Amino acid sequence: MSGLLTPFIMQSAVQAITPLLLAALAGVLCGRVGVFNMALEGQMLVGAFAAIAGSYFLHSALGGIAAAILAAVIFSLILAYGATLFRGDPVVICIGMNLLASGLTAYLLRVLFGVSGTFGDPGIVGLGKIRIPLIRDIPILGWGFWSQTALTWVAIGLVGLVSLVLYQTPLGLRLRGVGEQPDAAETLGVDVQRYRIVTVLIGGALAGLAGAQLSLGVVSVFAEDMSAGRGWIAVVAVMLGRNNPLYAAAACVLFGFADALSVHLQSRGLPNQLTDMAPYLVTLAALAISHRKRNTKETRHA
Amino acid sequence: MTPIAPWYLRPLAAVTAILFAVLIGGMLIIASGANPLAAYWQIVVGSLSPASLSDTLNWATPLVGMTLAAAIPLRGGMVNLGGDGQMVIGGLVGALVPIYLPGLPGPLAALLSLIAAALAGGLYAALAAWGQTRHNIPMLISSLLMSYPAVGITSYIVRFPLRDTATGLPQSEMIPEAARLLTLSGALNLGVLIMAAIGVLAVYIDRTTVAGYELRMRGSNLRFAAYGGVRLPRQAILTMFTSGAIAGTVGAIVVLGSQFRFIDGALLSPAYTWSGLMAALLANGEPLGAIAAGLFFAALQTGGFAMQRETSVPRVLTMVLQSVVILFLAMRHGIARRAT
Amino acid sequence: MLTVPALEAAGIVKRYGATLANDDVDLTVASGEIHAVMGENGAGKSTLMSILYGLQQPDAGRLLLQGQEVRLRSPLDAIAKGMGMVHQSFKLFNGLTVWENIVFGAEPRRGLFIDSATARQAIAALGEHHGLSVDPDARVGTLSVGVRQRVEILKALYREARVLILDEPTAVLTPQESAGLFLMMRRLTADGRSILFVTHKLQEVMEISDRVTVLRDGRVAARLRTSETTPQDIVRAMTGRTIALTAAPSQAQRGRPLLEATELTVAGPGNRPALDRVSLTVHAGEIVGIAGVAGNGQSELVEALTGLRPLSGGTVHVDGSAVTGADVAGHRAAGLAYIPEDRGNVGSALAASAAENLAMGFHNRPPLAQHGRINRAAMTERARGLIERFDILIAGPEAPVGSLSGGNLQKVVVARELSHEAPVLIAEQPTRGVDVGATEYIHAQLLAERDKGHGVLLVSAELSEILSLSDRVLVMYEGRIIAEVPRAKANPDSIGLLMAGRSVAAA
Repeated sequence: MSGLLTPFIMQSAVQAITPLLLAALAGVLCGRVGVFNMALEGQMLVGAFAAIAGSYFLHSALGGIAAAILAAVIFSLILAYGATLFRGDPVVICIGMNLLASGLTAYLLRVLFGVSGTFGDPGIVGLGKIRIPLIRDIPILGWGFWSQTALTWVAIGLVGLVSLVLYQTPLGLRLRGVGEQPDAAETLGVDVQRYRIVTVLIGGALAGLAGAQLSLGVVSVFAEDMSAGRGWIAVVAVMLGRNNPLYAAAACVLFGFADALSVHLQSRGLPNQLTDMAPYLVTLAALAISHRKRNTKETRHA
Repeated sequence: MTPIAPWYLRPLAAVTAILFAVLIGGMLIIASGANPLAAYWQIVVGSLSPASLSDTLNWATPLVGMTLAAAIPLRGGMVNLGGDGQMVIGGLVGALVPIYLPGLPGPLAALLSLIAAALAGGLYAALAAWGQTRHNIPMLISSLLMSYPAVGITSYIVRFPLRDTATGLPQSEMIPEAARLLTLSGALNLGVLIMAAIGVLAVYIDRTTVAGYELRMRGSNLRFAAYGGVRLPRQAILTMFTSGAIAGTVGAIVVLGSQFRFIDGALLSPAYTWSGLMAALLANGEPLGAIAAGLFFAALQTGGFAMQRETSVPRVLTMVLQSVVILFLAMRHGIARRAT
Repeated sequence: MLTVPALEAAGIVKRYGATLANDDVDLTVASGEIHAVMGENGAGKSTLMSILYGLQQPDAGRLLLQGQEVRLRSPLDAIAKGMGMVHQSFKLFNGLTVWENIVFGAEPRRGLFIDSATARQAIAALGEHHGLSVDPDARVGTLSVGVRQRVEILKALYREARVLILDEPTAVLTPQESAGLFLMMRRLTADGRSILFVTHKLQEVMEISDRVTVLRDGRVAARLRTSETTPQDIVRAMTGRTIALTAAPSQAQRGRPLLEATELTVAGPGNRPALDRVSLTVHAGEIVGIAGVAGNGQSELVEALTGLRPLSGGTVHVDGSAVTGADVAGHRAAGLAYIPEDRGNVGSALAASAAENLAMGFHNRPPLAQHGRINRAAMTERARGLIERFDILIAGPEAPVGSLSGGNLQKVVVARELSHEAPVLIAEQPTRGVDVGATEYIHAQLLAERDKGHGVLLVSAELSEILSLSDRVLVMYEGRIIAEVPRAKANPDSIGLLMAGRSVAAA
């Protein structure tokens, strides 16, 4: 088993966990206010593309990050207003958003950069790694964290911040109330719609950051549909964590490791078609196990 | 005491949504430097002109098939997002049966192949339903997650163990000529007729049978169906089986009728599953409307090829148009109120 | 001596589409007064209350609080001006604690964080001052209904409400808990607060209120001083006619057992079972009523009897056939029909047509279906027949039932279930939210079922309904049947004691 926790594995694991964590936090916040966010996949994709485009045109990684946040927030307006003001079914809206993100980024890839499939260019400024040579030799954790992008540290900080806000601040109390019993919140003067809209938009920003990490934080390349199901894995993490940021984070750690595991298996010679399956199989297994434990006997929920 | 919409409201809303999408698409086309009118004209010509009609129908066969695969569960308030996986499983099985059972006479091989593909796709989809009825794992999520391993394994199989030794490409061997679906005219083959028959059957079942009634009631109000005595778990599994069977059949039809082998990725790149899903959502699961929406999207996409060829507007724009239509409809009416 | 009224509403008008919910309504409440607002379902009481609390805006009219004209754009405004409201269905967060519920939206802060210590202290002090004891750290979902109501009242008092609106406060309380509530109301008004309470229970109005405003069809039908009026006056104002208060049903022949439940046990959340070895029998030609405060296992009992909920123990027999463990279809096939509590979310598919709704349960056998095919014409014919027989006001068999009023939708449900001619009928809250005319009709139908020789199990929170229709009354408390009272001995006092869990001392 120790053969598995090599420095390389640890580093790729932490790198893989980062976007999942950010996306899952977005999902947690939306879930808390009662908006089921299944559009994480599309939001991440939009963020990934905007990060590349922003970095390319503004010649800076920070520009890319800013573009990713802005684009993802604007994209999230669809869900924010669609699920509240327009009373649309969040599931349909999210499916539509995911498909829109896929098509729109592919379209813009061709129109803006004249290529299809992938886009890489020396003009794209990637997210630099923050190197901490001091911890480099600390087993396991040091191997994982000594060289990661700023977004990794932001993600970890956010887990703590979101937990703190949710459970210790007035804002957090209201968010929890809005999600649990919106009409009760309404009678106490809390504007449910406004809280939902703002929360979804903030979630969008986080998902955009997740996308930026995917593109700018790894090899500074955009590939069509590069979110590759990670948004869905984040959705499962949120479900398993029951909208609790810490539990969802734990699930993300598990799934991030599965992702790194697939890379490891690939380096051992297994074909990537099979190794790519690892995260999804782990996710499915986690879903099955978690639901087996809390098997409610409601026959009506068939 | 909520006012319920009269029958024409949904088609009217769909038309409005399409107009809205045309507008948005027009802006995107202008942003790429091309002329929207020319682009849209190419879409129309490229899909509906006599020369291109057979292409459109050919594209429509798998697309309408995947539309039905999505629409049938949706009618009952269930969402099958695993069409890709079910389709490739059916496609691979459909290719392997005639290749590895060479003794069979052609038409019998084709028939067996289609049946096996349907069974395979159906069982895989039913597995997701079983996960929900037995273990409360939402089939929406599980069906999607199950798609990835299915795609991975079929891809692996034709890249390694069963790879075509003749060409060395990631594909299966060619299927024997006798097993291929009869060509009707040009690109059109028997698959069109098979799909048309499936479509007719779907509408018939929905409108006139007990099963159709029970599915519609479940889609309208899950608790009402349960209370009225509809056996929900059995219904879920049978419905998803049917859905997956259709998806599997689509895969087999493409393999047996057009490509004559299972090519890694070839079933997925036209994005039939997702266009089909969008067409199903457009019609809220209602079979006839879904078929119409599927035909419309097929025309849109076939026309998109012409648009890209003649005006250089990337044909991926048609996917954008489709999703805008869905999103617009989702807003104005809260479409596809799922019972789940 | 003229004092400024605490609350004055003048000329309130509110329209919903074609319906005039409030038509030029005037209301005046003095300080220290307990003012009852009465009216049938649909009279406009709820609309008026939501306007007074800022949940909705009137189309016309003025509101004055302490003589000052105010415009309440939202509950926040109302709260700021000293209004408090306890809704009929509690607006509480079951997953949050008592103190979190009370301070929600008005949290005491320490910097950026919630000052939970201050919150807890303030609530404990408030509770003591008003004699409303609560545990600030208890999770609201675990509290009993009576305690939850206390939390609701504390919510209003925490925000220094001077006018308290109580919407059907005793709907979920035992008669004894209601008495406690009335004591609390007197205490609250002793220091000048006013209470506006909405109810349809005559008894309470006569007992506790100072003045009564009666609404009918959106208008004020009467303004009465309680000490100078009688129940008959009020009823006449509410309905526009004098109605007989209970029908006296004839004695029918009791026959063989049609529904037999033995030692039914159903798991509950936590350690206590929701149903604890419940046994009952319904015979042919009788109506058995189940009385009890909502939440004592009635829903679970009905779900277990109909097959909607799995049993962890016990057996059920319908008309002699064992149906334990069978699904809903199995229960129905054995001879059971069921009018559910929730007609919209369970009893019908609102977007579907009347014909389709009326077909459910019959749709898989002749004459409606043969060899798996449905006969559309037969379905429409059947619907037409039922619509006429039950006098349902609807455009036609193809019209969606979502457009129907509460009473008419309930008639659709009743029509369908009765047309099964099943030996056993379970009716759950059959006249909740239904107008008087339809209520009388449904009661007559239930009696007709009994006279036909069928067995009826009636579950209702309306004690008067239970008492007027049942041949035997079973009382449920905490998942058990704790008493069986024959018709002759059943009255509000004895049943009320039982509903609160006290055993029968001398019934």
